[in-house]
Amino acid sequence: MRLETRKLLDRAFSGTGVIAIGVMALALVVILAPIIGKGTGAFVFRSTIEHRKVMFDQWGRGTPERVEADKAPAAAARQPVYDMLAAFAAELDEMPRADRRPYKTPVRDLEKALEELFGPAPGQRTPVLIRQQYGATRWDRTKIKLGELLFTEQWDYSNPDALGVLVKTPRSEQFKETSLEPLFDYVDENIEAIMRPRLTFYWQFLFDTSKDSHIFGGIGPEVLGTLYLTLGAMIFAIPMGVIAAIYLCEYAREGRVVSFLRICISTLAGVPSIVFGLFGLAFFLNTIHISDSKSVLAGSLTLSLLILPTVIRASEEAILAVPKAYKEAALSLGAGRWHTVLTVILPAALPGILTGVVISMGRAAGETAPIIFTAAVSVGRPLLPMQTLSQPTPALPWNIYNLCTEHEAVDEIRHVQYGMVFTLVALVLLLNVFAIVMRARISKKLRG
Amino acid sequence: MKKAILSIALMAAVAVTAVAEETIVIDGSTTVGPIAKAFAEYFMAENPDVNITVSESGSGNGAKSLVNAVCDVAAMSRPMKDNEFLAAAEKGIQPVAHVVALDGLPILVHPKNPVANLTIDQIRKIYTGEITNWKEVGGPDMEIVVITRDTNSGTYETFEKLIMSKQRISDKAEYVGSNGAIRQRVQSTPAAIGYAGLGFVDKTVKAITVNGVYPSAATVRTGEYAIARPLFMYTNGYPKLGSAVYQFVTLYLTEDGQEMVEEIGFIPVTSY
Repeated sequence: MRLETRKLLDRAFSGTGVIAIGVMALALVVILAPIIGKGTGAFVFRSTIEHRKVMFDQWGRGTPERVEADKAPAAAARQPVYDMLAAFAAELDEMPRADRRPYKTPVRDLEKALEELFGPAPGQRTPVLIRQQYGATRWDRTKIKLGELLFTEQWDYSNPDALGVLVKTPRSEQFKETSLEPLFDYVDENIEAIMRPRLTFYWQFLFDTSKDSHIFGGIGPEVLGTLYLTLGAMIFAIPMGVIAAIYLCEYAREGRVVSFLRICISTLAGVPSIVFGLFGLAFFLNTIHISDSKSVLAGSLTLSLLILPTVIRASEEAILAVPKAYKEAALSLGAGRWHTVLTVILPAALPGILTGVVISMGRAAGETAPIIFTAAVSVGRPLLPMQTLSQPTPALPWNIYNLCTEHEAVDEIRHVQYGMVFTLVALVLLLNVFAIVMRARISKKLRG
Repeated sequence: MKKAILSIALMAAVAVTAVAEETIVIDGSTTVGPIAKAFAEYFMAENPDVNITVSESGSGNGAKSLVNAVCDVAAMSRPMKDNEFLAAAEKGIQPVAHVVALDGLPILVHPKNPVANLTIDQIRKIYTGEITNWKEVGGPDMEIVVITRDTNSGTYETFEKLIMSKQRISDKAEYVGSNGAIRQRVQSTPAAIGYAGLGFVDKTVKAITVNGVYPSAATVRTGEYAIARPLFMYTNGYPKLGSAVYQFVTLYLTEDGQEMVEEIGFIPVTSY
């Protein structure tokens, strides 16, 4: 081959490599940017007075005086709205019955739209559901709810051969020439005074329990549950995996049985995670009844089975990579096999083993399928360490899925979903960074 | 060192026994899910020493969990079937039903879709694949996208029983795993048709009238709306009077319980 051709081929090859890395980086940006952008919205956002009310009532945050001082101007700004409603009610009473009738539904709709924005009217009985006790807690939601207050939506189906068209009409038209007509302009102009938006850093989102199935509050139980499940999986998988790897490398005699075992382990690594989940349900819960219900213990065991093959393979590779001379030197000095493994081979292989552990830890934290039937629930309290043996827990991966597919009011709380995704990604990243740092330290120490 | 560990362990044990809290594990229907979650929230606020966990995995799973004794309360959007009762009896479980709410199954279409009414016959034909275009039922010229629930779902079985009358749902139908997923599929697909529990209807989807009747509290209670059903919570035997489970499954009888059921969008059984 001519030199130019070879150079060209070489350049083409490295070029493809650069492109591949570029595509990967781009994909990472495309995926991570919205996660970070929208996810931070759960932590940093413009909160309204309603958010501060929730914080004070449900978590006791803030002093009564300051909250009162915060609430009073908002209540004062809202008062004209309620005055107008009262004036209109009086106006209705004086109307003949026939004139009153067409206002019945519009008034009810208006009151509902106001409740969604402001929460229940003063003097009204407190609703049982917490979601109805407060108005819009976030400024972005406030703007949407304001739009719903100012405009009514109808679908125009006048053309039977085509799809309907959304028609928005100002709600004020329904109340022309009544005492309610100025209400809409008033709310529109004074919405900032009524809701008092303020930039808030809600870091407690990470630790708070959720109120009224994630409509208020944070994701504390989910974060804790994910940590429990991951740690639990590690506690079971690391010893089992490392011991299995030591046995396979150092003790087992190479032969048909061992190579068959290796094939089994590789196959196990490729089994879909839902199969592990169903196995966990059938074996740990329904057969040996490891706990009375789903539990963190059952979930951890299932997850540990899932990551066991990875841990074994990585440990094996690490052990095999230890120079033979180390072992021979140890044996020649009279150390027994057991002693050699424990004091020479394992420490030298530790960084490699940790790499495998790191990879599988990230996987365990993010897996959904194995915990659906064994550990995860949509609502539950944060658990104490001992309770993990018998009780199920919410966990980030499952709750993300649950929120986006099953929650009855998911469109209202997308920020929580993004917050969870962001937290999960950050958590996995943190676990990895922690483990990488630890690995670096250990290998440095070993090198002396 | 050993002493320290021992004392810590001892302290932990004491702490755990001190918290000795009751737990209620709820599993099952995604339709009953919002009610179960709201009840759980309410109940835990009143009784801080009780931990209630709710998972929504479908009525079929709820029944299986109860039979396998891995849950205390099985939320179900359909009654238990003979084979489930049989399996329960074999394992010494005695399922007792508590009807916590009523539900009409609204037929959902995209709000853009001008079709406002379908007869049961038309719905059946759409699901069997006989009617494939909205044109045939008075809509625009669009291929119908049929969305249905998975076979583990009680909502699916209710629909199959009340609408399909033993006919098979077409292979072209798209199966999704929860009420929320049905709503999301319908709200993003103008040509879609689906069905879900009443509590999942919001303004992003349109519930149409069936045989000219709109699913409302009144029409469901009187049975005028054809696709209606009770929603259940099953327990193993009638719960011990006064126990946490007893208080939980009778919450729907209280005024607050009724209000919650109603505000979530379902229909209370009781009407004070």
